[in-house]
Order: sequence, then C-alpha cells, then structure tokens
Amino acid sequence: MINAMEETDILVIGGGAAGLAAAESLSARRRVLLVEREERLGGVLLQCVHRGFGGEQTGPAYAAGSVARLAKTAVQVRTGTHVLSLAPDRTALLSSPRGLERVRFDRCVLATGCRERTIHALPVAGTRPAGIFTAGTVQRLLLDHGPVGERIVVLGSGDIGQIVARQLVQSGRRVVAMVEQRDRLGGLARNRRDCVETYHIPVLLRSTVDEILGEGRISGVVVRDLDTGRRRRLACDTLLTALGLVPDQDLCRGLGADLPDWLALCGNCDYVHEMVDGVVREAAALGAAWGETF
Amino acid sequence: MEHTDVAVIGAGLLGCFTARALTAFALSVTVLEAREDVCTGISRANTGIVYTGYDTKPGTLKTALCLQANRDFGRLCRELDVPFSRPGSLLFGFGPRSERVLRDKFAQGQRNGVPGLALLEPAAVYAREPHLAPGVTLGLYAPGTGTVDPWALGIAAFENARDNGADFRFCQPVLHMERTPEGFRLETAAGTYQARAVVNCAGLQAAAVRELTQCPAVRLVPSAADYLVLDDTLAGFVRHILFHEPEERGKGLTIVPTVEGALLIGPTDRPQGEAPAGAVSRQGLERLRRLCAQVVPDLPLEETIRAFAGLRPDPFAVRQEGGQWVPTDRSIHSFTVLEEEGLISLVGIKTPGLTCAAALGEHAASLAAQHLGGPGRNVAFSPERRGIRRAHALSEAERDALIQQDPAYGTVVCRCRDITLGEVREAVRRGAVTVDGVKRRTGAGMGRCQGARCMQAVAEVLAQEQNIPLRSVTKDGPGSPILLGQPGE
Ligand SMILES: Cc1cc2nc3c(=O)[nH]c(=O)nc-3n(C[C@H](O)[C@H](O)[C@H](O)COP(=O)(O)OP(=O)(O)OC[C@H]3O[C@@H](n4cnc5c(N)ncnc54)[C@H](O)[C@@H]3O)c2cc1C
Ligand SMILES: Cc1cc2nc3c(=O)[nH]c(=O)nc-3n(C[C@H](O)[C@H](O)[C@H](O)COP(=O)(O)OP(=O)(O)OC[C@H]3O[C@@H](n4cnc5c(N)ncnc54)[C@H](O)[C@@H]3O)c2cc1C
Repeated sequence: MINAMEETDILVIGGGAAGLAAAESLSARRRVLLVEREERLGGVLLQCVHRGFGGEQTGPAYAAGSVARLAKTAVQVRTGTHVLSLAPDRTALLSSPRGLERVRFDRCVLATGCRERTIHALPVAGTRPAGIFTAGTVQRLLLDHGPVGERIVVLGSGDIGQIVARQLVQSGRRVVAMVEQRDRLGGLARNRRDCVETYHIPVLLRSTVDEILGEGRISGVVVRDLDTGRRRRLACDTLLTALGLVPDQDLCRGLGADLPDWLALCGNCDYVHEMVDGVVREAAALGAAWGETF
Repeated sequence: MEHTDVAVIGAGLLGCFTARALTAFALSVTVLEAREDVCTGISRANTGIVYTGYDTKPGTLKTALCLQANRDFGRLCRELDVPFSRPGSLLFGFGPRSERVLRDKFAQGQRNGVPGLALLEPAAVYAREPHLAPGVTLGLYAPGTGTVDPWALGIAAFENARDNGADFRFCQPVLHMERTPEGFRLETAAGTYQARAVVNCAGLQAAAVRELTQCPAVRLVPSAADYLVLDDTLAGFVRHILFHEPEERGKGLTIVPTVEGALLIGPTDRPQGEAPAGAVSRQGLERLRRLCAQVVPDLPLEETIRAFAGLRPDPFAVRQEGGQWVPTDRSIHSFTVLEEEGLISLVGIKTPGLTCAAALGEHAASLAAQHLGGPGRNVAFSPERRGIRRAHALSEAERDALIQQDPAYGTVVCRCRDITLGEVREAVRRGAVTVDGVKRRTGAGMGRCQGARCMQAVAEVLAQEQNIPLRSVTKDGPGSPILLGQPGE
C-alpha cells in the first residue's frame, strides 16, 4: 500500500468545524481530500451537547449541518485515518487500519484543533492517583460511559470548565468548588450566568490547587489562597482541570521555523477560538483567498 | 499446598531478573508478588542510568557487579529487545570542592578499571554541553554511561522468565513464612506454598520479610526522590547524561536524555516521613527548579509535562534498645546479599541496582542453586525475548506490513508518542491489567497530554480484552477505579 502515492490539490487535516468549512469552501475549484482521525466528523463539537453553537444549536446538531453541506460537494473524505507527519516535499504520511499511505498535495490546510493543558505541567505536590481528568476527557467519558465521580473540584474557570461543571451538577453530581487563580471568573458572561450562578457552584477566586491527596483514588486537594498563602483541604473524589487550550501544531515540527507558503493553519489549530462562528468564517475566507491565488 | 523448588518474593527488577536466572536451571520457580503487576515498587520510579562504576569503592561487590553489568548491558538489551542508549555522562562542578570530588572519582574509576574516563577542561565541557551555566571548573567524562527505560527492562525480564517457565502469582503478598524440614512454608493472602529455597526480593519490605524467619540485622528507612519530566520537544538540548556536583552539601542535579527523547530531571533526596509512597514534595520541586535555574539557566522549564517521586530503601545496621531493634546511624553502602540456609535476601539494593539487576539476579540464583545441591541446566532455556512491535520505530514499509497483518496497528491511540491500538492490545495480552500497566509497557500516556487523549481508549481496551466492565478498570490496582459512581441517573 505504501508504494501507491495518491495525489490531491488540497489536503485538509482534521474534520472539525474548521476543516469541514475549509474543505467545503475550497471544493468549488479544487480536488480536496479531508482526513480525520476519528470515525466521525465534527471534532470537539461532538462532545459539546449543550446549546450555543451558531445560535441555539447543540454541538452535534451544528456538526451534522456542516457534514450535510460537505456531502453535497466533491470533497473526498477519509475518516479513521491519522496523519502521522508532513514533509517539506508536500507529502503527508497517513495511517489507518488499511495501511500506511503517502499523499502528495499542492496545498495543505492544518485544522487539527487544540489540546488541553494538564495539571501535570504545573508544580503541584502530592500523589498522582486516579480521578484527575481534563474537562475534555470528562465530556467524552460522560457521553460514552456515564459518571466519572461524585464530588468534584474544578480547577480553572473558563467556558469549558463552567460548561462541564454545569453538566455534572445537572446529572446529580456535586461540584464542591471551582478554583480560579484570577480575581474573577473567566469565560463568557452567558456561561457565568447559565452555569455558575444558576447552579450555585461555589467559587474560590485568587486560589489554586497546589497539592493532590489520596492513594488509589484522589481523596482531596489542598487549595492555596494566593493572597494570604493559607492552605486548606477540600475533600473530593475527582479533580477536573480546565486550564486552557493549546493549538495542536505538532505536524509542523518537521517543516522548519518558518511555515511554508503552501500551508495554512485554520480554526483552533491556528489560535483558540471561543466561538465556532469565528472558526467557520475564517475557514471560508481561506477558501476565497486560495481560490483566487492558485 | 503448592510445591516449588524456589519461591521468589517480589517482582520488581530484582525479582524478575532473579526468576529469569533461576529458570536457566532445572528448577521450578514461583514468584509471589503482592501487587497486580511487576515493577510497581522501587523499580517504578528511578533515574534509569546504567552506571560505569567510578562512583563506588574498589573491591566491593557493588563495584565488581557494576563494571561487569555495564560491559554486558548492550548484549542484555539485545537479548531482551529493550531500547538502550549510551550517550556517555559528564560530571561537572563550579568550584574547588567539586573539583576535588571529580579528581577523586577519576582516580577511583581508574583503579576500578572503568574504561575511557577523561577529565575535561572547561572549554571541552562547553563544547560538549553549550547550555551549562558559566563557571564550570572541571568535567569528568565517562563514555560508557547509558540509559534504559527501567519498566521496559523489568517487564522484559518478567516476560522472558515466564516464557522459560517461571510461574508468576500476582496479588499474593507473603504474610507468613516459616522453616520446615523440607525448606520453607509461605502463606500469602491467597494460598500456601512449600519451597526448598526462597529468594527475598521484596524491595522496601525486604528487611521485614527476612525477619519473618531471621533475627534483625538490617533495617530499611525509606527516603524519597522527586523528579521532573520535560517534553520530547527538547530532544537534543543536552547530549550527555549530566551530573552536577554541587559546591555546598547535598545532592546536585542529574539530567538524563531518555531513550524516548524526553528529559528526566532529578532526583532530590529527602526523608519520606509519613507521606504516602509516590507523593511529590513542594520543597523538592522548588529545589529542582532552583538547581535548574543555576546549572542550566536556559532550560525551558515550561516544557515540564510531569512530576513524580520515588522511594529509596536506605539500609541501616541495627542495634537492640529496650528490647526493640532499631536502626543505628550506620548506613550500609555496599549491596547486601545475605545467604541464610536457603533464604537469600537482597536488602536495601539502591543505585546502581537497575544497572546490576541482571548480575544480582544471577548472583542470587547461583546462591539458591548451590543451596539446592547444584541442579542441572534447563536445556530449553532461552535468554531471548521479543518486545511488543513498536510501530513508530519501524520503517514505513515495515509499519505498513505490520498493519496488513493486524489492522489495529493502523489506529493511533496515543498521539503524543505515536502508540497504536495494536500495541495497547498486545500489552494487555502480555499481562497489563491496569491503565498504568499499559503505560509502562507501551508509553501510552507518557507524552505531553499525559493521557488526556488516550486514557479512555486504553481503558476500553482493558475492559474488552479482559472481558470486564469499564467500571472495573483501574489506574494502578485495587482502590484506583477510573470511573466512580453509578450510571443511569
Ligand atoms: C467544551 C467546549 C465548549 C464550546 N462551546 C462553544 C459554544 O457554546 N458556542 C460556540 O460557538 N463555540 C463553542 N466552542 C468553540 C468551538 O466549538 C470550537 O472553537 C470549534 O469547534 C473548533 O473547531 P476546530 O475544527 O478548530 O477544532 P476541532 O473541533 O478540535 O477539530 C480538530 C479535528 O482534527 C482532528 N485531528 C487532529 N489531529 C489529527 C491528525 N494528526 N490526523 C487527522 N485528524 C486529526 C481531530 O480528531 C478533530 O476532529 C466550544 C469549545 C469547547 C472545547
Ligand atoms: C530514586 C531512585 C533512583 C534510582 N536510580 C537508579 C539508576 O539511575 N541506576 C541504577 O542502576 N539504579 C537506580 N536505582 C536503583 C534501582 O531502582 C533499585 O535498585 C531497584 O529498582 C530495586 O528493585 P527491587 O526489585 O529490589 O525493588 P522493588 O521494585 O520495590 O520490588 C519489590 C517488590 O516486592 C513486592 N513485595 C514487597 N513485599 C512483599 C511481600 N510481602 N510479598 C510479596 N511481594 C512483596 C513489592 O510489591 C515490589 O513489587 C534507583 C533507585 C531509586 C530509589
């Protein structure tokens, strides 16, 4: 399989909101191949079951709309396929259960989204028991397998932390506290109102978690007040971290310091977007710009 | 009651290598391990350095084994199919005290017969390691120093021993042991065993296990060690294993470019006290960060992906005090291997216990064999073991061929380290029963996202392959469920 080299005008890597919109807008004049590692298209939208995408839609509904529009184009889609690397000679190496393939392209759109910052990057003391998750992991686990824990501390107060905290409270779990180092909550006003205030989630501002307690499963955290330095223990069986997102640009690693002109970054892989609308607008603009220049 | 020629207590690095060496004889071997998997004790968290032998006193068992082990390490890793690299090490300091230490170690190394040692002037040190802080006064280069993944090595020894007939019994802590006319009777939480000889490799518990039948002679006092791991985006930042010899008292900094391309920084040395095993200390982390800023100021600590802690079994001589045995302040520096009428105990085996694991295992096995009157060789014994196929280490053609054989090798599960579903399944088939067990066997979850993107998939494979509900899957054994709470509300 590795010997046959497939060719396309444009390779789009990632089938989230950004990749879907970019592929759709580029497909009018060019052959486009869209590659997505998961079995389903939609990216992070699929795990966001709350409303608020493109108005009042849920994430999966919004994704379904994009996928339906894509189906009307000539874009070739390959799911369950992971792009392992990009090479300066404008080829990509793909891995799937069918085998390893090389694809040659003229241009490439990188729409690989972002990854979550973890607590392990912070200087946190204590043990490393079970029950520490990022918000995204919890969203996926909740969807696929149900509850992850009963008493939850949320570290970080951006939109994602607030939305997942609400999801947990709605399903009958207890959010013991939301811990935030700044002097106010992060995220959109809408989420503060609909998630934190409506559900009376206790908030600890100017505070951080600096020690993890428990063997086996987490039994608590030590929260430090950043102004007084005082530490106190909070019992919990789950620590959920929402410490921010980092654009996933791993595939650029082999391409040198200056990105080649045949490559465009799009959506959360370029920079983190709070709303899907901006992602889609920029992806569509890319289609227009590239449609004119080549 | 089950009968075995030799019972090995504990399946850390030493228990696994002892079992492997014992299976080379025509003996039945049973390994009794308290936990659910191998290498969960001291062997779980260490620095992974294969030492050359310039650190230890001439004429000791430690030095003899270390020299031999370092020489043989390449062959051992080929036999067991374990990745090993030998970047060499550079010991350096910033003043007169460290300069004296370096010159002494150089002389000691020469006496011990360590090959290739060289003292380096500052210019030569900076040519090798440009990121070191200004002011280095001297360097000691040892080309033979290497690094290995301790889990990979211990697991390889386990699999090889098992393939050669050793019977591993997990979740069987030895609670009771007594001498009988035939040898020993051992009781675990799950059964009773009759053994003609016992090799005690119980790590932190080795002194306590020995005292089930013997009078106290050594006691272990655990001390703890904190580490930081930096991302593999920093591969190439340092080229050697770096040892910093501080001017003031206390432990310097060690930096290891690991076989997987990450940077391992540590260890600290502090009393364990009442803290639980594996707990990282705030002071330890601060100390490491401070030392980094002093010694390698432009090391980007924001690339930290993990902190962890290990436990050292510090051995002390004992004395009697008011009817009780207590540790004295006489710490024991050499390896302690005691042979007491068929009970062989490896007590307080610290650094370089990983380097010497195979050599110590052979030493212990030969003592047991002697006690049993010199059994013959096991003619079917093979020292060779093949590891899990690592998709990312293959050429494109090989990787494609592997996927054609088993499509699961085409699905990437861990994106940070490029680990496939095929590897995760194979790890479970070879004995991983926990998420951490899969991590130790494949590296899945050890990259910068620390399992955020692959832990669920790994847990799902564990559930499928073992035919258990996902809610029974644990991170690292009983009491560490991944999911808590009942679904359906
Ligand atoms: C929890 C949460 C709540 C949100 N809430 C809202 C909201 O209420 N309203 C709103 O408008 N916006 C919201 N957003 C923002 C919006 O959903 C995102 O900005 C947008 O969906 C991002 O799309 P993307 O395509 O850039 O990234 P992603 O959706 O992450 O897509 C990236 C895709 O690339 C694939 N991929 C990655 N690497 C590879 C590879 N090597 N090979 C193949 N495929 C690969 C991934 O599998 C993924 O499908 C929310 C985001 C989150 C995370
Ligand atoms: C911080 C640190 C750094 C190190 N760095 C290096 C290095 O860079 N290079 C080097 O060469 N060496 C190094 N070492 C030394 C090396 O790691 C150890 O010598 C080695 O891991 C000891 O292995 P073990 O099998 O004795 O102990 P363990 O791995 O602890 O194994 C003992 C096993 O016995 C089991 N057990 C205990 N009690 C019972 C019971 N009653 N019944 C049944 N089972 C029981 C435990 O569950 C455990 O699995 C380091 C050590 C430490 C602590």
